[in-house]
Amino acid sequence: MRKKIETKRITMDAVLTATALVIFIIELQFPEIIPIPGIKLGLANVITLVAMFRLGPADTLAILLGRILLGGMFSGRIISVLYSLAGGLLCYGVTLLLRKTVSESQIWVCGVLGAIAHNVGQILTAVALTRTPELFGYFPILVVSGILTGAFTGGIAAFTVKKTKKLWE
Amino acid sequence: MKKIRSTFLIVQAILLVFCCFLPSGCGGSEKEKNEKHSSVVFAMDTVMEITVYGDEEVLKKAEELIRDLERKFSVTLEESDISRLNATGNTRVSEETYALLKRGKEICERTEGALDLTVYPVVHAWGFTTGEHRVPSEKEIQKLLENVDFRRIALGENMLVTVPSGVMTDLGSVAKGYTGDRLMELFKDSGVTSALINLGGNVQALGTKPDGSLWKVAVADPKGGEEYAGVVTMEGKAVITSGAYERFFEENGHVYHHIIDTSTGCPAESGFVSVTVVGDEGTLCDGLSTSLFAMGPEKAFEFWKNSDDFEAVFITSDEKIFVTEGIADAFTPLGRFQKKETEVIRRD
Amino acid sequence: MIKTKTWIMIFAAMLLIFGAVSFWSFTRPSKGTVANIYVNGECVRSVDLSLVTESFEFTVETSAGTNVIQVEPGRIRVKEADCPDQVCVHAGWIADSANPVVCLPHRLVIRLEKNGKSADGPDAVSK
Repeated sequence: MRKKIETKRITMDAVLTATALVIFIIELQFPEIIPIPGIKLGLANVITLVAMFRLGPADTLAILLGRILLGGMFSGRIISVLYSLAGGLLCYGVTLLLRKTVSESQIWVCGVLGAIAHNVGQILTAVALTRTPELFGYFPILVVSGILTGAFTGGIAAFTVKKTKKLWE
Repeated sequence: MKKIRSTFLIVQAILLVFCCFLPSGCGGSEKEKNEKHSSVVFAMDTVMEITVYGDEEVLKKAEELIRDLERKFSVTLEESDISRLNATGNTRVSEETYALLKRGKEICERTEGALDLTVYPVVHAWGFTTGEHRVPSEKEIQKLLENVDFRRIALGENMLVTVPSGVMTDLGSVAKGYTGDRLMELFKDSGVTSALINLGGNVQALGTKPDGSLWKVAVADPKGGEEYAGVVTMEGKAVITSGAYERFFEENGHVYHHIIDTSTGCPAESGFVSVTVVGDEGTLCDGLSTSLFAMGPEKAFEFWKNSDDFEAVFITSDEKIFVTEGIADAFTPLGRFQKKETEVIRRD
Repeated sequence: MIKTKTWIMIFAAMLLIFGAVSFWSFTRPSKGTVANIYVNGECVRSVDLSLVTESFEFTVETSAGTNVIQVEPGRIRVKEADCPDQVCVHAGWIADSANPVVCLPHRLVIRLEKNGKSADGPDAVSK
């Protein structure tokens, strides 16, 4: 019985990693509508949120790291892995902290705070890499975009978590 | 709870759309009140910035004019008048080329050959035309100098121009100045009363600014960088600078710049680092900035004293500024040049 | 547990505050804005963005590689670069002076600065 659960879990992790990766790669193809670095929907975070609330922190971390590293390789943007890691891990941390304090219908809150954390992580990396403190000038707009995109992806995540309740049990 | 969330999702979607428009929507609403129209043209191996007030249509004509003149004057475009002249030694040229050759020769004559339209082979030997810089041998230079003589450009009837074989003509030293003059004519004919052009550092203005104030033209710091040596205020003038800092290369610790002394065939070691000529005629200012640089202080100052159609700002290698009395009041030194004395040259 | 309503209030407040701040930062007057392109900290080229009416491009060669820079009225970006990370390309357009574009591998920075040292800088530079 235990083995069956393990198998299911690993399969689930793999499927979610693959899904996240596909979403990530597809989103890279979107044209940049907004001329500001770091602003994007971050749809792949939907998977992180779903995993966090349905599978647990360990699986989520595996999926997140798998997605970032493979995404870096597949897109050929190795250095952007650094940005993704900084943003992704901060986002992960925030989501982890919030996991117990929000109800399932409030998952979008995780989306918002996670997206803001993600953007902060990216700015910090950029400032460190380029030694250009002026990049902090992007902070306000990245908070705004984090709230909006985070609410959007968080909303999708909440919806997905709700709809997949049965699938996972 | 459900209701709240679905409402919220809709709000999110609307806000997201709003977010897409927020940054892009804010940038573009500035130019409405201003009638300033500008364009940037890459031509004659340089960047040209053209600003006119009022008539936007004229910008297109200006670009056409520049392209047309480039096609006639270029030494590199095979079809140009000058290329044909250099290839065959005998050809009919366009009116513009003829006019500029004529005016160019007059300036050469006036500077007693300090400006020479046929110095091209020497400049070429130093690699300034191609970027493959080298120091030619004394012997090579002497041989090339034999063919440097603008007087051998014979201007005949019906736009016919003849040069002996071996003589190469290049209008580079006056072409931008002439282009400036022609643009000013075009603007005037189109009813424009206020315009400023910057043809790769050759600045020329029509009238004053729309509010009636004078144009402020900075003179580049010969050391480069963002500082200026000073500012000239003027209306309707050409302000053209030649400097040793524009194009140069270094070999064996010696710096060779692109302004060739036509008497030695080597970069002019005249004691100037930059000469700025201010006058009504762009062609003259362009030609004189180069040749006054090559002449050096003594001759150049004397040359100015015997002229009445231009003013100048000279910067010597020890960073002293000399200003001719006609623009002494219009010139303000800036930066580190403020601390030094600016000497005014007067006609005695 | 914090109520959903409270969360919405918090985020709405943040949206308002940061939205206003970024709106302010993006609408700051950019008249006479000059884009200075630095390689290794040295200014290699300046473009007065307020004078540009038509889009154009140029290439900056650095010892590490090249960046193709595109200019449009009021804004500038790195269009293409042969750097490995492409951060400069992804940085996209800049039109306000607070946010530079940086290409770390090529040590290239595009920074928007005011024309001249003071508001009444020169109209052109003769050189």
